[in-house]
Amino acid sequence: MRDKTPGGAQPEGWHEQLRRGGLELAVMLAVSNGPKYGLEIIHHLDSQRDLALPEGTVYPLLSRLAREGDLKAEWRQTEPHPRKYYQLTAQGRRRLAVMCHDWRAFSQKIELLMSEAGIQP
Amino acid sequence: MILSETGESRVRGYLFVLERSLRTFLPAATAADAVREVESHIRDRVAEVEPVPDERAALERLLDELGPPLRVARAYSIEMSAEEAVATGRVAPMVRSLFQLAALGVGTFFGSVAVFVGYAVGLAFIAIAVMKPIFPDNVGLFLEGPSFGALFPAPGRPLGGYWVMPICVAIGVGLLIVTHRGARRLIEVWLRRRRRPV
Repeated sequence: MRDKTPGGAQPEGWHEQLRRGGLELAVMLAVSNGPKYGLEIIHHLDSQRDLALPEGTVYPLLSRLAREGDLKAEWRQTEPHPRKYYQLTAQGRRRLAVMCHDWRAFSQKIELLMSEAGIQP
Repeated sequence: MILSETGESRVRGYLFVLERSLRTFLPAATAADAVREVESHIRDRVAEVEPVPDERAALERLLDELGPPLRVARAYSIEMSAEEAVATGRVAPMVRSLFQLAALGVGTFFGSVAVFVGYAVGLAFIAIAVMKPIFPDNVGLFLEGPSFGALFPAPGRPLGGYWVMPICVAIGVGLLIVTHRGARRLIEVWLRRRRRPV
């Protein structure tokens, strides 16, 4: 996820950790409303949610999620060429619910720490 | 944008390198499927670009966003090797995975070095056991030094005798088993951390 917040550069390691941590969740959320193919997922996160993903990392991630049974992948005959669509499986949906819960809980703890430190939103 | 023959050649070249890289560790059918998906991505990206006079620059920009084929292949490779290593415990994916992990960070680098040292020392003990009957006067524990191992020329007469063989085999095999379990654990922990949301 590219940094688009005002305030300038972020330390590279921190940015990378945050991006890597959120990538899987972001991709699973992107396909939670229905089947999407790789570029569609990238566009969905980039243009609509300002979450630009490194394109070369998305396909290995999708491949792994499909291998683990969280996503179902299938080739569809679309124009002008076939595309591989991904959708959440029942297992993936359960895992997504857990991930969202964990993310919110973690985020709330950080928010609390920030407010204790006097950092305004 | 509709690609010229030169542009098509560039795309085919990219996909060729990607497929060759993927096939070094993925089954041919899986590699072909991955390449087909990346090709579909490139075709879609090309179709999105408005026709421009400098097709080459536009195409290179587009391929840059995807990343060099070797890097894309490596992203597939790291996950696959690590999963295979943890699931099967086989030596080849384990070693491949450790080499890849070593390049990812300081912790995994030192972890991988420790594992390779463990393997090397374990193999060295077994080698000593194998060499003892071949070079009985050069292998064993020597009081001169004192030193232990296979020494040419021998600094003196080795102590004991053939007792060194079972002891070295036991230590060597024990070290290899412990190291192998440690390596598997290291990869497993790395995989788990990598998949944790934060």
